Amino acid sequence: MNQSLSILDQNFVLHPSGGIFWTEKSTLLIADVHLGKVSHFRKHGSAVPFKAVAENFKQLTRIADAFEANSICFLGDLFHSSLNTEWQLFEDWVKSRKENVILVAGNHDIINPLKYEKLGIAIYSEIITEGFLLTHHPEEREGLFNFCGHIHPGIRMGGLGRQVLKLSCFFKTENQLILPAFGTFTGNYYLEPKSGDQVFAVTRNEVIRVC
Amino acid sequence: MTKNQLHKLAQSWFKNQGWKPFAFQEETWGAFLEGKNGLLNAPTGSGKTYALWVAFVLDYIKNNPDYKTKHKPGLKAIWITPLRALSVEIAQAAARFADGLETQLTVGIRTGDTPQAERAKQKRKMPDLLITTPESLQLLLTSKDYKKVFKNCTAIVIDEWHELLGSKRGVQTELGLSRLKAIAPKLRIWGISATIGNLDQAREVLLGPDSKAFKNSVLVKANLGKTYKVESIIPKTMEKFPWRGHMGLHLLEEVVPIINNSKTTLLFTNTRAQCELWFQKMMYKHPEYAGELAMHHGSINKETRLWVEQAIRNESLKAVICTSSLDLGVDFAPVESIIQIGGPKGVARFLQRAGRSGHQPGKESVIYFLPTHAIELIEASALGKAAINQVVEDRIPYLLSFDVLIQYLTTLAVADGFYPAEIWKEVKQTFCFQAMSEEQWRWILNFITKGSQSLQAYDEYKKIEIEEDGKFKVNSKAVAMRHRLQIGTIVGDAALQVKYLKGGYIGTVEEWFISKLSPGDVFTFAGKNLELYRIKGMQVLVKKAKTKKQAKVVSWMGGRLTLSAQMSELLREELYSANLPFEQQTRELQALKDIFDRQRLESIVPNNDQFLIETFKSREGFHHIFYPFEGRFVHEALGSLLAYRISLLSPITFSIAFNDYGFEILSDQKIDMQQVLDNDLFTARFLVEDLQKSLNSTEMARRKFRDIAVISGMVFTGFPGKIVKNKHLQSNSQLLFEVFRDYEPENLLFQQAYRETFEHQLEEGRLRLALERIEKQEIVIKACEKATPFSFPIITDRLREKLSSEKLEDRIKNMLRYLDKI
Repeated sequence: MNQSLSILDQNFVLHPSGGIFWTEKSTLLIADVHLGKVSHFRKHGSAVPFKAVAENFKQLTRIADAFEANSICFLGDLFHSSLNTEWQLFEDWVKSRKENVILVAGNHDIINPLKYEKLGIAIYSEIITEGFLLTHHPEEREGLFNFCGHIHPGIRMGGLGRQVLKLSCFFKTENQLILPAFGTFTGNYYLEPKSGDQVFAVTRNEVIRVC
Repeated sequence: MTKNQLHKLAQSWFKNQGWKPFAFQEETWGAFLEGKNGLLNAPTGSGKTYALWVAFVLDYIKNNPDYKTKHKPGLKAIWITPLRALSVEIAQAAARFADGLETQLTVGIRTGDTPQAERAKQKRKMPDLLITTPESLQLLLTSKDYKKVFKNCTAIVIDEWHELLGSKRGVQTELGLSRLKAIAPKLRIWGISATIGNLDQAREVLLGPDSKAFKNSVLVKANLGKTYKVESIIPKTMEKFPWRGHMGLHLLEEVVPIINNSKTTLLFTNTRAQCELWFQKMMYKHPEYAGELAMHHGSINKETRLWVEQAIRNESLKAVICTSSLDLGVDFAPVESIIQIGGPKGVARFLQRAGRSGHQPGKESVIYFLPTHAIELIEASALGKAAINQVVEDRIPYLLSFDVLIQYLTTLAVADGFYPAEIWKEVKQTFCFQAMSEEQWRWILNFITKGSQSLQAYDEYKKIEIEEDGKFKVNSKAVAMRHRLQIGTIVGDAALQVKYLKGGYIGTVEEWFISKLSPGDVFTFAGKNLELYRIKGMQVLVKKAKTKKQAKVVSWMGGRLTLSAQMSELLREELYSANLPFEQQTRELQALKDIFDRQRLESIVPNNDQFLIETFKSREGFHHIFYPFEGRFVHEALGSLLAYRISLLSPITFSIAFNDYGFEILSDQKIDMQQVLDNDLFTARFLVEDLQKSLNSTEMARRKFRDIAVISGMVFTGFPGKIVKNKHLQSNSQLLFEVFRDYEPENLLFQQAYRETFEHQLEEGRLRLALERIEKQEIVIKACEKATPFSFPIITDRLREKLSSEKLEDRIKNMLRYLDKI
């Protein structure tokens, strides 16, 4: 089940995979996929299961098919490290899609921009449109609402009987929405919500507003 | 020289020192000279070093008649010790005898503390006797020409084998020995072990089952006729007696007269944090001890530790507050009194500590027991009986530890490379891997060369390469370097070095502790009040704090101890005796009268034919407390098992808490106990299946996996002092666990996490016996208004296991409903 959200008179749909669909712009926002991380570990002798690589592409396909947007905008850390063989898989995936792909570069994105250009992917350090600021790192700028990633937000919940749950989440403050990390082999950073913050927990099947 | 002459030679040296050899020492010399391998069962401080070192030197003299004039350099003997701290002592003793007989034999130490220059020197010219740790031995196996170094080795001694046996360091030692046996044909293998329940098995593990070495071996026992006495410290006023968590500090004044009346007193605490706290409080309340009271634990810097050890020998200290860091080795003749603070949880450990005092043969060892909460007095009483009967535990050896095997194979590949057919034969002869199948072996080989996948076009996995002639070899310098830094089987949280701003190393603390502090915060460590200045890389820079007020005391993670099977049985018997007439009870139980009376107000003190369950409701939810009195590990398993079985009846979420006496299942719903009984949920049938399934829903296997991931090299813990730079290669093992669970559950290392949980944590055998016992008992359910004296320490425990059969989405929604209400 998705969650819908209206910000500055624009409509957004939060998807359980961790991405956001911007209805008016027909654009998908996705942060911190960290492609190539598994291969990077394997290349350095740490035998992370190779099958985990396929999952990222499966999830990308899932959300892309669900909305059939015009564009997909990655909010940074698309690739975890320098070029490795997962790039080929990414290339194949991009070629198989109709969407226009855009990258707002993050701290991990160190792959040569020419490689992206060849694939028809435009790279920006930030995007400002309709009063929205799209970045990788969280930013505060007068008069703009910021969509970003980088943090890998998570939320801890407690309940009766000393229950505790830890979940990835979308974390929204007054002028900012931080997206969860989309990638499978990424960890979380747990945030404490303050009053006025909105938190949307992500399970495999649902997005649930928890505060 | 004949055997007789050799013995005479040693005897006369002993006589010159004013000593007389013990029977077990001479027996060991004899067996060694006959070419036997063996296990020597002797306690710390009994002269065990001389039993084996003398044997080696005599054998050397026998084979080198002109030993006084001719000396051929090169490694001849290895002494493995589990604790670096012990190496100095052993080196001194060894040199004393070797020099006394004018043998020209040299002694060297090689541990993690040995400076680089010294190591390089050793590489060029090895000492005759090398004293080292299991980790450093394995590191030596990574050097290029290791076969030449070890070729002429004739003896290896594994000291404190009982300490290594029940751990993965034991497996590491077994593997190292399997290689040494092959490259040093004249090698004799000897272990030294304190008394444990399974000495014969200890020898078998050391030498390899069915091996030639095992067949040609003996067990030598030192019967020193030691007796023990336990003296409980009973508080004068019981009603002020805290239930838990006070670390025993309320009884601090009771130990003062003991300290004052003894030459030197050792106070054993169970954790480093407790040690720090006791030291701090002691100095605060009794400043007159300044200069005479010291602290000793594993995270304090080496110089300080050595200084303390020396000061004990010199009798310049009145008392030392310590942890298990002083359990082993180091002969402290001046120690007169031992105080154990809090339950030691095992008889063997307790007796070993008791044995630190009264070193004169035949003299009774007295140990004082200071309980940290009321029910520990029952433990004290049980320990008193254990000491008389000398019941001790087994140390369970690890089986099929694939993580250690992978580390070992990588070690060989880093050095000269290895041929699988040759190593397979050696590894198969070890106790740990005797049951390994060829299929598993192939899987391991595939794992280290292809990362457990069949070769795929996109895969760049790189670690060990197979060369054209079939040799397995590491050719990447980076892989080799990372491997060398990570050799070892003890996994801890990242340790940061604490240093003064002006220089001066104080010790190490764990990252999680320091991460909770901000610059300017004051904390107590190594007995000093320190102000955090800043964290730089892997260093914590501090200043001396100006404030005198109490500061946060450093604490460390680290496993909690559990009661052994023997200890739990004694404890149960002791508890049942609380129902005997008052005058037949022990002093300790009599002191607990008020507490037993309060327990009986709403509940009962069970008899041996009763199984007690208590329930009550609080703000936190519905509490259900069960009392098997089997030790915390068994309770952790029983709690998960029962929770799992209950969760099958209807969707429900639990948190489970446990201590050595019982466990609690806490839920937001009330459990219908009649339904639990009607459905026969305590049955021992389907135990393995149900446990396996309950494990999937709890955290136990996940925690085991952490160590496995590090040992097998899947998680890189970082270069010392360079943690940030390599962050891109660090992942947490939690994440890794989930990836394996979702994508490669057939991975042997992943499965090992479950197997280890079964064999070493859950103790399936004990669990089965416990269930069978419960099935015969009458179940007594007491619905209480509030917590009872028995339940209080359990329900307040914050370390909890979780289990749920509800859908994740439903749990979130339930939590939200609950939040709305408050």
